[in-house]
Amino acid sequence: MEKSESSESLGSKLSSSRQASIDSLSSSSTSRSDRSFHLRSNTCKSPELRVLGDSNNWADLEEPQLLPNESLKETVKDVTYICPFMGMIRGTLTVTNYRLFFKRVEKDSAFVLDVPLGVISRIEKAGGALSRGEVSYVLVCKDIRNLKFAHKQDTQGRTSVFETVMKLAFPVSHNLQVFAYEYGQIYPENGWKVYDPSAEYKRMGLPNESWRMTRINEHYELCDTYPVMLLVPANIPDEDLKRVATFRAKNRIPVLSWIHPESQATVVRCSQPMVGANGKRSKDDEKYLQAIMDANAQSHKLFIFDARPSVNAVANKTKGGGFESEDAYQNAELVFLDIHNIHVMRESLRKLKEVVYPNIEESHWLSNLESTHWLEHIKLILAGALRIADKVESGKTSVVIHCSDGWDRTAQLTSLAMLMLDGHYRTVRGFQVLIEKEWLTFGHRFQMRIGHGDKNHSDADRSPVFLQFIDCVWQLTRQFPAAFEFNEFFLITILDHLYSCLFGTFLCNSEQQRIKEGLQKKTVSLWSYINSHLEEFLNPLYVNYSHHVLYPVVSMRHLELWVGYYIRWNPRMRLQEPIHHCYKELLLKRAELKKKVEELQRELISRSASSSSERAASPTRSVTPVQTFV
Amino acid sequence: MFSVKPPKPTFRCYLPPQQTGIKKPPLTTPKKLEAKLLPGEIVVNEVNFVRKCIASDTSQQDLWGKLVCTNFKISFITDDVMHHVKFQYKSFLLGEHDIPLTCIEQIVTVNDAKRKQKVLISNQKLKFNPTELIIYCKDFRIVRFRFDEAGPESAKKVCLAIAHYSQPADLQLLFGFEYVARVYYNSGNKVNCVDPGGGGLEKKSLCEQTPLFDKPSDWDREIKRTGASEWRVCSINEGYKISPNLSEYFVVPVSLADQDLRQFSQFFTGFRIPLWCWNHSNGSALVRMASIKDVMQQRKLDQRVCAAITRSHPNRSDVYKSDLDKSLPSIQDIQTAFTKLRQASVIDPFEESEERWLSSIENSRWLEYVRCCLKHAAELVYMLEGKRVSVILQEEEDRDLSCLISSLIQVMLDPHFRSIAGFQSLLQKEWVMAGYRFLDRCNHLKKSDKEESPLFLLFLDCVWQLLVQYPAAFEFTETFLTVLGDSLWLSIFSTFLFNCPQQQDEHCREFVKSRSISCGDEKPLRFPPVWDWSQQFSEKDQALFNNPLYVGKSASCVQNGAVKSFKRTKKNYSCTLRGTSSLKNGLLSEPEFMPRRNSLVLRLKADFSHVRDAPDSPSEQFFCEWFSKPADLQGLLLPQLLPSHIKLWKLYFLRWVPEVQINMGGPVTAFHKMSVLADEIEMLQQRLRQYKGVGSLSAGTPEAHQSRMFFRASNLSDSSPMPEYLTSSFPFSPVGNLCKRSILGTPLSKFLGGTKIWISTETLASEAM
Repeated sequence: MEKSESSESLGSKLSSSRQASIDSLSSSSTSRSDRSFHLRSNTCKSPELRVLGDSNNWADLEEPQLLPNESLKETVKDVTYICPFMGMIRGTLTVTNYRLFFKRVEKDSAFVLDVPLGVISRIEKAGGALSRGEVSYVLVCKDIRNLKFAHKQDTQGRTSVFETVMKLAFPVSHNLQVFAYEYGQIYPENGWKVYDPSAEYKRMGLPNESWRMTRINEHYELCDTYPVMLLVPANIPDEDLKRVATFRAKNRIPVLSWIHPESQATVVRCSQPMVGANGKRSKDDEKYLQAIMDANAQSHKLFIFDARPSVNAVANKTKGGGFESEDAYQNAELVFLDIHNIHVMRESLRKLKEVVYPNIEESHWLSNLESTHWLEHIKLILAGALRIADKVESGKTSVVIHCSDGWDRTAQLTSLAMLMLDGHYRTVRGFQVLIEKEWLTFGHRFQMRIGHGDKNHSDADRSPVFLQFIDCVWQLTRQFPAAFEFNEFFLITILDHLYSCLFGTFLCNSEQQRIKEGLQKKTVSLWSYINSHLEEFLNPLYVNYSHHVLYPVVSMRHLELWVGYYIRWNPRMRLQEPIHHCYKELLLKRAELKKKVEELQRELISRSASSSSERAASPTRSVTPVQTFV
Repeated sequence: MFSVKPPKPTFRCYLPPQQTGIKKPPLTTPKKLEAKLLPGEIVVNEVNFVRKCIASDTSQQDLWGKLVCTNFKISFITDDVMHHVKFQYKSFLLGEHDIPLTCIEQIVTVNDAKRKQKVLISNQKLKFNPTELIIYCKDFRIVRFRFDEAGPESAKKVCLAIAHYSQPADLQLLFGFEYVARVYYNSGNKVNCVDPGGGGLEKKSLCEQTPLFDKPSDWDREIKRTGASEWRVCSINEGYKISPNLSEYFVVPVSLADQDLRQFSQFFTGFRIPLWCWNHSNGSALVRMASIKDVMQQRKLDQRVCAAITRSHPNRSDVYKSDLDKSLPSIQDIQTAFTKLRQASVIDPFEESEERWLSSIENSRWLEYVRCCLKHAAELVYMLEGKRVSVILQEEEDRDLSCLISSLIQVMLDPHFRSIAGFQSLLQKEWVMAGYRFLDRCNHLKKSDKEESPLFLLFLDCVWQLLVQYPAAFEFTETFLTVLGDSLWLSIFSTFLFNCPQQQDEHCREFVKSRSISCGDEKPLRFPPVWDWSQQFSEKDQALFNNPLYVGKSASCVQNGAVKSFKRTKKNYSCTLRGTSSLKNGLLSEPEFMPRRNSLVLRLKADFSHVRDAPDSPSEQFFCEWFSKPADLQGLLLPQLLPSHIKLWKLYFLRWVPEVQINMGGPVTAFHKMSVLADEIEMLQQRLRQYKGVGSLSAGTPEAHQSRMFFRASNLSDSSPMPEYLTSSFPFSPVGNLCKRSILGTPLSKFLGGTKIWISTETLASEAM
């Protein structure tokens, strides 16, 4: 913890120097400071202090503060950044193996653009050059912005700096590795240790007499996209599991995700059954689902939530998939949740980006937003999760959740339902466990959905599934401002490093791949960083009402566009959580008052003790209530 | 749901659904249910065995009781206990199920057996016996009563009585007159004789701190407070000799003599001499002015007025004139927007309207108008603060948009008006005394449909937007704004009952004369202002108005206690009013950025300075510069104005919609936590004062802690548990207050769920007959 303390003190110094810089900059109406993405870490402490101690620090800062093992690749002068908000900005562009760094030329005004290469989705040479002999490039980014640059064409025929960026930004396409493998920062806490599956199941009281832990997937032989540790009904032997696996898409058999501490109702996840056009049945699968139902004595029913719209589920039959027929599965009720597939979601986000970036059309903001259907999709996902949570909590019924493969919509639904049901997941560490468990180990294909370092931007496998999940969580935090230990900034940080490729957390597609790649040894976990700077990510209003189930109101009346994320590049959109800041000020004030009161008390006690002894009884009485505040 | 034909409506459809589920009325004669009456209130008509509908889909939770119409309210009296409503703030004037007559928007009677329905208007016949009564309220409630077991004739009589008494023929028939005469001037009963102007005898109440601006001294104090040395109080309108709709006292430039003003007045619409509103510390003044009728005189008079205002400016700066009629929506536009917003919020069927919710909000244009008003006010703020010129608000009659814009400007510029007492005095100054036609705009007499417009609510909404953007800058909460908005519909307070002070005086005098009431020293009848909150709520409930985050003057008392760390309050009131350099000084410790240091995040500092849309506009530049620094909450506040910044005021517009209620959620859960903390701080401060004052521990028997907070810190533990009754509607409850008929799929739904109910009552009435 010593390390983090030193960075704290650094932080406070920084913030004071920052003030000075703003002060000095405010005189110029063209000034601007974008201090995005600066790693204030221990290793670069001394140079930073030196540089930032100066009031003109940003103007003096020619090059980015390099991260450990970050290296300069190219520096080009006289590049123009064509900013949609401010117009042309001339400056120097620096490219490293991790980022693109642009700095305005003029000394008196600071403008800095600091973009990790990982967020770049594609680079296009743009037509219509600004003036003769200039070429321009557009960098389309995954984090809802586009960056447009222009520079003079080189007469010597050297390639543009953006050709270099293209290589560096898409290392995977060039048989290279993303920067996470090189980043060598050491943090006080090792985030790879955040999730220990057996500890997490133990927290839920598992295994128990109805649920056992199986080692059948120890070498990923049963299912290569599942984790090693699986919880299955106690009375189903491993042999049967293999037969069940043959009937489930990608062998993703139904396994337990969560169990209700009182009713023993469970949340179980899997992929679609391989029913096919002929309506194939599997006695093993039917028996297996019956066993899941039997494991919960409270209910004689089992709910199967198919995340897809029923039409899509039917269409899947032609490809060998399908859904559970109620004839085959006695006592089971099938519900379709009408959540659309990854392609629809990708298209919706594309439209959303058009509406929010760069500028918002003033007169039709809400109807434009409506036409993207983004919030409608968010609503359907939340509504599905709410139905699941309600079935488990109020209906005391076990639920089985699947979509087609069980790694996109299923992950959204199980994790959101668990977030509503279990207050543990609403803590910072609990939420990390939830992501590790339901998303990472259960094989949400992050590499494919995000396309880390891959130039193939039009890949049909890309989709903002995880972004939607985080958006849903943000919606929950809006409705329950005191129910989450973390703040909005925490969620934004997760999304930023979903793309940045600085940490190993979101690399690869499955647990098996991650182990094969040795991510834990070769890369740093995002949780290492976050848990070492916890203070920044905490919600001061958090109330731990541990056994409280959240029932959000899933209505367009309450759903809002997450402006703090989607519109944050617009300088008119202020990024702030004002209530949190006010509350923190009040906390400081209380602490100070407490100190004062205690000092006075001590003083008075010592005085009265020395002066008189007959009134000895009364002081103790008055002291006690004060100490209860502490 | 797909292509299946809808079943043909049969006669059965019109029968109330789920007959079997209906709870039977208690068989034994109920013990006598009596309406709680206020002084001067009389029962006009009543009917027993009435069922108040609680949920729209089932009658299981319905309440049985008596429906009473008085000359003040509709009262439903019941012994049944409402489940699911665990908390409600209590009004002294109204019971849980009561609706004041002035709050009624529309009365619909239905007979489902005869398939008839009718919108009731005063003095109309009703040709059927109603089986159901639906009251649409101005505060967005929809309340439903069933008469299945009630005497058909009495039910009809009550309905007709409600229709009659909710549309009084004359202003003096509004209940307030009777009430005030009884409470304050009933010579036989001295017990209740309290001065309506003031509160109790204890410490100075909020009401007493609120100047009403009906005396020259109130104006004098305001002139001194704002340092407007070149302005004076003018009393030529004493006895309303010059203008009937101006207040008796107002403020004018010192360079204009009474004689000149008398002469000018005849050329202005309504004889309204230009009024001073407020002075900036840099000397620029805010003035409001009606149009000049006489075209011949226009230029000359304009010049005279401007010259006088210029002369009152220390730098003799120019005057900037803003024509509000040209730059803002008309009052009819605003009324239309409001009607559409109400339609979307509470009338349209909930589920069906979900998909189109955002566009229906947009189509209403309400938020657009909110934004428009804020934007216009902000631009004038730039004139006063940035360009240091005086500003004239010009409007045809100077009685509508001027009230709104001038108050908004002052809320943004002057932190005094963000305190409760200051805000109340602002409304008194810019609305009540300036002659905003509350009577007509609220349509209390149901006679001025074309004049009705929710301008005051629009103003409250604008203030709410500022409150959301700067949650620590206001002493009050959104509950305060909501309750204030609801108080429009109580015909008891002087504040919202009249078109202008003269009308109040005249009617009071007449009323006193006609009833030969002795008012003592020949003063006419005086109504209490709404600011006397003790008329409505207990001390405890009034604590709901107090914002725990407010860092206004309350923080200065800490400084006596040697705690000086409360950074945001450093720059206090005087600083911001003396000199515009306060903006620079406003650069404090930037709490905005502090928590984000050391961060590894892609982040853009909120910085306005290069927004491109209007690169040449100096006001834009001014805003940019202001937004590039942390806000000084005790200084100038500017609204953020992207369309995505302007939000729907859910507490006000959606509090009655049961489907929207978040249990154990909503902003109130944060409010609870903050209140508890603020309460702890108050306790510590009190203790500190005690120790310091006495200098001995024997003071340790703490006097009862007087809290400003509604939610209190418990002495026993650090964390006070969150009460389970908290919902996003708190302190209101939608239960039983929004009860639309569940008649989906029947022809009746066309009437009851459709737009017609609100838009064209006449058509509906004629169709039904």
